[in-house]
Amino acid sequence: MSVNSTFSHISRRGVLVGGAAAAVAGLSGGRAFASDKVKLQFMYPVGVSGDINRLVTAMISQFNAAHEKIEVEAIYAGSYDNTEQKVITALGVGDPPATWLPINSALQTFLGLDALADITAKAKADDIYQDFLPGFLETCISDGKLYGLPFQPSTPVLYLNKDALKAAGITKAPVTWTELLDVAKALTIRENGELKRWGLTIGGGWHDWIFECYCRQNALVPWTKDKVLFDKPEAVDALEFWVKMVQAGVMPPASTWEGSANDFMAGRTAMLYHSTGSLTNLRKSSPFEVDVAFMPKNKTFGACQGGGPIMIARKQTDAQIEASWTFARWMTSTQVQSQWSRDTGYLAVRKSAWETPEMKAYLEKVPQARVALEQAAYAGAFLQVPGYHKVREYLKSALDRTLAGSVKPDVALKEAADNSNREIQRLLRRRS
Amino acid sequence: MATLQDPLELSAPATSRGTLAHMRATLRRNWLHVLLLPLLALWASPLVWIVVTSLKTRVEVFDPNAGFLPAIAQWSNYPAAMAVAPFGTYLVNSVLVTGGILICELVTITLAAYAFARLSFPGKNILFTLFLLQIMFPIYATFLTNFVTVRELGILNSLPALIVPFVASGYGTFMLRQAFRQVPTELADAARLDGCGHLGILWHVYLPLVKPTLVAFSIIAVVTHWNDYMWPLLVTNSESVRTLPIGLGLLAKSDSGADWTRLMAATVVVVSPLLLFFVIFQRRFVDSFMHAGLK
Repeated sequence: MSVNSTFSHISRRGVLVGGAAAAVAGLSGGRAFASDKVKLQFMYPVGVSGDINRLVTAMISQFNAAHEKIEVEAIYAGSYDNTEQKVITALGVGDPPATWLPINSALQTFLGLDALADITAKAKADDIYQDFLPGFLETCISDGKLYGLPFQPSTPVLYLNKDALKAAGITKAPVTWTELLDVAKALTIRENGELKRWGLTIGGGWHDWIFECYCRQNALVPWTKDKVLFDKPEAVDALEFWVKMVQAGVMPPASTWEGSANDFMAGRTAMLYHSTGSLTNLRKSSPFEVDVAFMPKNKTFGACQGGGPIMIARKQTDAQIEASWTFARWMTSTQVQSQWSRDTGYLAVRKSAWETPEMKAYLEKVPQARVALEQAAYAGAFLQVPGYHKVREYLKSALDRTLAGSVKPDVALKEAADNSNREIQRLLRRRS
Repeated sequence: MATLQDPLELSAPATSRGTLAHMRATLRRNWLHVLLLPLLALWASPLVWIVVTSLKTRVEVFDPNAGFLPAIAQWSNYPAAMAVAPFGTYLVNSVLVTGGILICELVTITLAAYAFARLSFPGKNILFTLFLLQIMFPIYATFLTNFVTVRELGILNSLPALIVPFVASGYGTFMLRQAFRQVPTELADAARLDGCGHLGILWHVYLPLVKPTLVAFSIIAVVTHWNDYMWPLLVTNSESVRTLPIGLGLLAKSDSGADWTRLMAATVVVVSPLLLFFVIFQRRFVDSFMHAGLK
């Protein structure tokens, strides 16, 4: 396949600007190194709304203007899954982008591909360990080493239709699982046996994410680096509680991620578990007042994180890793994070970002945004195991079948745990 | 149709017999419309919903108390949607890529189908089986090899990268080969006596006779490649070489629920060229399918 290209290059920019990579890629070297600038690529997904594209582009031009020696190219890469596919494809041919933004669960996947630069030393020499919120930083740590800087963390929270609560005479959000069930019962409306409004909906599609939060509320982290613990009694108890809510007729047995948000906005469910990333959208699109509360606790409060960190490719020159670090560091700096958080609804990763005057003014105006921050104190990483895609599917299938009533919680979770662990072992064997 | 007309007949006063008879005649002539109008409504309803939603405010979309039509048409959704990405560039790219793929495909499948239908050469059957196999592979299975090939050609992140993997089509070759085989060999023989070579026979005899198949294949090809999302996303990085579905993805693929009003505004923009194209050439499309059916 060593055919020389007879096609004219339509794009003006060269691709795959990684240093050693450029030589392999067969790009005309003169073009890639025409200036002494270090060129970096940054692949990012769009997780929240259409404007992210513009926000990121604006941030990148600001960065480029402020850094003479570095030029970052921002590349929109679809959803989190698409981004992962695009990066893995590029890794497969040996030309990874310098930096990218995957979901934090992908950490073990990329470590398995030996793709990540270890930035522990750089971070220790900086104020990263002091100023970053520990729960967020933890999502990038494996075996005590740091492999990325958290950039756009989110957690699930409980959204409440304030008007509906008021109409039902409920003054405060539920704090425990028991209260949650009671409130959901009070908010469910049936007319002549026909359902008009659910009390509570758990956003489907990511309900495995919310389920992990329930496990953590039962004081169980349902995974370690190389296995899952879905069959522990704490997890079974959590799922039994879900079944109880479905059987009480206050919660639909199934929903979709986008559909559940739509249902909430249309008043077809009074409470909703959804991502903090949805805050802006739900606030702006609902014809009623939206309130946000902690996810109710059982043994303890508990949450886990979605959203992603900026990761840096290992396979590049030192100069490029240094430049990538400068970029990741800038994207997670106090001012940038403060702005980014206010624009999107993602949580700012630095303590200092929450103390900026702009952020304080924003929290004054949108106090709901503070809830997620406070809850983040109880949050950990989400399902960081190898092959997490498959594991998520096993778990979701177990949850769905249980809620549909076709299988018992303990049987379903045992099966999901066994299948997941077999898959994880398979991947680990292949790796060693 | 008797059941439809009898009640009318019975309840009608004698004086209006004339008009009734007239109605009956009209109904008899146009009964197909009675059947087709609901189908039309069914088919058009998503399109109507898209247009209506594109003119609403975000609150109106899900508010059960808001009417079906927006209180005030929000034309500003359109510029707001267009501002998300350079849709003009995307549109031009989509047209170039889809058009490029179609032209290349038509050339390659015509030649290949002719060879498979009318020539005999060693390994013909094995080769044709391989062509059929290509249809069976889902496109995702070949992404990585295609990616490597495109990269070695040095055309990553350019419009040719979006075209090259699709210049041949096993499906099209198969479809056209079947059509060619329907054409009587006598016609080709006659053309040969008149001094035509292979290309001449192909151009003057075969292609005019299989026009319906060509049109049918073109529609399928255009719709498929117009909507391609994953491959363009994978091989392009710069906005200057990206296509419309990627722009739509910016509005649709989100954790937080789609941004419905702007998504629908952008959808209107994305589907209108195809829709317009179809409306203009509607008669020709329908005719060719009728012919295809008659054969």
